[in-house]
Amino acid sequence: MSILSKILTLFRGTANEAGQAVVDKNAIRILDQELRDSTAELARSKDELTKVMAQRQLSANRGSALLAKRREYEGYVQGALGKGDEALAREVALKLSDVERDLQAEASSVQQMDASIASLKGAIRDTETQLARLKQQINTVKATEAVQRAQSAVSARHSGANSKIGTALDSLERIKQRQEEQGARFDAARQLEQETGEGDLQSRLASAGLVNDPSNVDGILERFRPQRAEVLEDQSPTPEQQKLLAAESLFGERK
Amino acid sequence: MSHWTQEQLLECLADSFGAANVAALEDAERAYQVVLPESGDLEVTLVAGEDQIYCSTPLVTAENVRDRAAFNDACMRLNPINPLSNLGLSTIDGQDVYVVFGELSGDSTQAQIIHEIRMLAVNAIDAIETLQPYLVNE
Repeated sequence: MSILSKILTLFRGTANEAGQAVVDKNAIRILDQELRDSTAELARSKDELTKVMAQRQLSANRGSALLAKRREYEGYVQGALGKGDEALAREVALKLSDVERDLQAEASSVQQMDASIASLKGAIRDTETQLARLKQQINTVKATEAVQRAQSAVSARHSGANSKIGTALDSLERIKQRQEEQGARFDAARQLEQETGEGDLQSRLASAGLVNDPSNVDGILERFRPQRAEVLEDQSPTPEQQKLLAAESLFGERK
Repeated sequence: MSHWTQEQLLECLADSFGAANVAALEDAERAYQVVLPESGDLEVTLVAGEDQIYCSTPLVTAENVRDRAAFNDACMRLNPINPLSNLGLSTIDGQDVYVVFGELSGDSTQAQIIHEIRMLAVNAIDAIETLQPYLVNE
């Protein structure tokens, strides 16, 4: 059973009972156990590798010695044959054949040990990868637990005994509510502006019939009629005329 | 190992979200809380782990879900198209709670951390708006 499926089984088994804390504790225990197993396996593999590599070195040393011995005996065989001593040559050749057999045995044992070394190194690499992954899983489980603890602490802080978890759903509702409030405020502001602003003055003037005030029209016409200076001098300007004079001086026309 | 110290991380968060919206949680180790006013005061929890930084925010409590099977199905479909964040199920205080979460490398930059948090909030609001048809009508 893989580590993850063990943990998942644990989740399913306890989801309705004791709750998350137990699950996390057990998940961490499972992972810690796996971690210990893998660490032990790694140590064993490394130990084994050291042993095999040492044996291979010894075997290789023996091989080199045998090789030297073979060259030596080959020389003897050639020497004996050169002197025509067939019996001595045969005796040395017998020893040489022993040396060559040992040499072959040593070579095949080195080859076997090389294969073992390669497979041990592979196993060590795999175990190391698994260890790194396990450590990461443990960290993740621990961090997830810390996140849950933190979220639980926050919900307790917010609402005391009656702890409720604040969710994105609550936030969405707040956003909608704020948008509604803002909409209402915007409407109110627009209404207020209409009541107090220029727009409202115009509409009130219109409804009061002042925008097209007939007396105002008469006043304009009067200005364009041939002026009777003597009358004008006597008269103080009407408020309407005062405003127009002020406007004239403001805009710099008709001094 | 995260290269952020507790003070640095707190300062980085306060710098971007305003000191009033950021708090270290003394109840939990290396945990921080960020409130995002522009996301309806959504609260994102940050935990600085050994080699990663974890961000999470509760999406909705399971009791608010009308049809759990349909909701789960919708979540699984939503998950692959959710940039940077994942949807998951957690148990908080004995309550099943759907969460939106993300993980960052411990040596992420300030910009990456801030981006992750903002994205998480946007994703959470987006997700719950999308998933509303599966929720209990109040």
